Amino acid sequence: MSAPATNDVILEGAGLVKHFGGGGLFSTPTIVRAVDGVSVGIQRGETFAIVGESGCGKSTLGRLLLRLIEPTAGDVLYEGKSILKLSKTELRRLRRELQIIFQDPYASLNPRMNVGDIIAEPIWLHGLASGRDKRERVADLMRTVGLLPTHADRYPHEFSGGQRQRIGIARALAGDPKLIVGDEPVSALDVSIQAQIVNLLEDLKERFGLTLVIVAHDLAVIRHMSDRVAVMYLGEIVELSETDALFDNPLHPYTQALLAAIPSPSPTHRKPKALLQGDVPSPAAPPSGCRFHTRCPHARGICQEQHPALEQAPDGRRVACHFWREIQGAGAGSISAPPPSPALAKRLAIYRTWRERQDKPVATSP
Amino acid sequence: MAHEATLPHLREVKGSGRAISSEEQALLTVQGLSVRFDGAPKDVNIVDDVSFSVARGKTLCLVGESGCGKSVTSLALMGLLPTPPARIVAGRALFDGQDLLTLSERERADIRGDRMAMIFQEPMTSLNPAFTIGDQIAEGIVRHRGISKAAAMERALDMLEKVRIPAPEKRLRAYPHEMSGGMRQRVMIAMALANDPQLLIADEPTTALDVTIQAQILTLIRRLQEETGTAMILITHDLGVVAEVADEVAVMYAGRVVETGPVEAIFEDPQHPYTIGLMGSVPSLGRRQGRLATIRGTVPPAELMPKGCRFTTRCPFADSRCANDPPPLAEIRPGHKARCWYAPLEEHRGAA
Repeated sequence: MSAPATNDVILEGAGLVKHFGGGGLFSTPTIVRAVDGVSVGIQRGETFAIVGESGCGKSTLGRLLLRLIEPTAGDVLYEGKSILKLSKTELRRLRRELQIIFQDPYASLNPRMNVGDIIAEPIWLHGLASGRDKRERVADLMRTVGLLPTHADRYPHEFSGGQRQRIGIARALAGDPKLIVGDEPVSALDVSIQAQIVNLLEDLKERFGLTLVIVAHDLAVIRHMSDRVAVMYLGEIVELSETDALFDNPLHPYTQALLAAIPSPSPTHRKPKALLQGDVPSPAAPPSGCRFHTRCPHARGICQEQHPALEQAPDGRRVACHFWREIQGAGAGSISAPPPSPALAKRLAIYRTWRERQDKPVATSP
Repeated sequence: MAHEATLPHLREVKGSGRAISSEEQALLTVQGLSVRFDGAPKDVNIVDDVSFSVARGKTLCLVGESGCGKSVTSLALMGLLPTPPARIVAGRALFDGQDLLTLSERERADIRGDRMAMIFQEPMTSLNPAFTIGDQIAEGIVRHRGISKAAAMERALDMLEKVRIPAPEKRLRAYPHEMSGGMRQRVMIAMALANDPQLLIADEPTTALDVTIQAQILTLIRRLQEETGTAMILITHDLGVVAEVADEVAVMYAGRVVETGPVEAIFEDPQHPYTIGLMGSVPSLGRRQGRLATIRGTVPPAELMPKGCRFTTRCPFADSRCANDPPPLAEIRPGHKARCWYAPLEEHRGAA
């Protein structure tokens, strides 16, 4: 929870717009406004989360920030310089520093390459090492992410989902990156494996001084990992805030609804909730005015007509809602997680003690 | 009848009229269910000695990670397991006094979709893209109720209203691809409940949905359950969903039930190291409390499955006894059982 105090921006998106589609020869064009006017500055050393429901444009934004896809409008600045004007060679050099981990570790690894080659590829590509050096480096990376270096000659299908995600992380680390975008890096994994990967990402971030951008829909994971959060709805950021402030006192009605929808983590604290009605409208035809007005319980006339700007609240948070001042304080949606029961707390403590011992096998003498 | 309770295994399985008295309100009682897959190593059942029961109108959650056997268990109950490769090698499943596992294929088909229904994780793959929503709901009603197509369509419309689909008349003639994921799941629920089943099996019904839609569907299921008195087996990996909807919980690991009990007991007083590790793996929604606890490694493949407790390879507390002797599902408190030699942990593993 140590958000960097400085305003040291490493990567910045300025007025990013991405529209997909266009018509076929005979059909009227449909344009999907995946990302529509988003500006964010990611600070060096922080973990920045982008959250929202499917179709909100969070993955597209993540890819735009790395220029994996070209924006329709807007600019991306890395270390203050635009990366949109770079030539192919320059861009390739840049790829070393900006990396991505994908959601589906099954689809993102080449099934015909063995793991050693998959991890060695970026090292070879950037000419970082060769021969024995390269092999040593691969072994090193595999150890770093918790894989056995002896498995370097195996193929991706021989690994479980969690191990494949580790391979993806090792490959992302191979070029000594400065910033890694994780596109739903743990959502395809089982809970126990998810915790392993979350801890691994945190360790690596600390060890290599990385900046992380996590694109995710799981709010608990986001609360646990990130320093700041941007909440997206239909291609726009509706709220941007430090993590604890956002969860303690969500300002935007959409953030409030999102938090209220999370299942209560304790069976003794079940309570009826105010639910958001309906589905997310199609990003091909977003509603007029505030895009959330069709589902917003607080919507009034002006919300249909005027698009709210992302304005700054006194504490430095940003929110795009005409009525956030009136809505806040209603206490809607703030998360109150009850502490674990005494029995669970006690056993978890015992579990952790024994679990640590399990990681340091047999070495009882210090 | 009371004397039967002491000798449950000696009872005639086939045609046994009624359940024993202690199971009187239990709608479904599964005892010692074991499923084997052809080609798996000897003695390693994919589902092994699984027992649980579901009371009328109540919800049992089967919790576990991929490969723990929760879906295989439910498919076995529905009679949907492909044989070969899967074979039910032991156990029985008394549904309203009738053993599901001894029924003929025809008898099963009569129960399925009528007194027992199922909804699946991915509604798009379980709906036929070539037929309208109305046709697909009506099909099951015609099959089991033997009424006319028109009357069945009438009932289908009722069901769409019941699951709160806006503009139901219009939706009746819509095709699955014209609907969103949340709406499709509502259609699946309408279809499953069309014949007023006594038992609904829901296999990860909200996993593919966004969190706001998940909340809508869970609320809907709960409300319908109150209205109709349907019992439910909900299969999930999400502890939040369990805390939200379960009455009873069975935690599964590698094909076995490792802990079972009322939902409060499982969350307030968890006993099995796997349950505890799982709870430590989930980030809290409150302020951050240090690193997550983790469970080492992954589920071992069948050929490396330990002889004793199947959690041995990953358990921080395991010793040679665990590796060799499978612990029984022992009662900790009335109704709360755990399959661990060292539960409660603070007594056996506390000082160290």
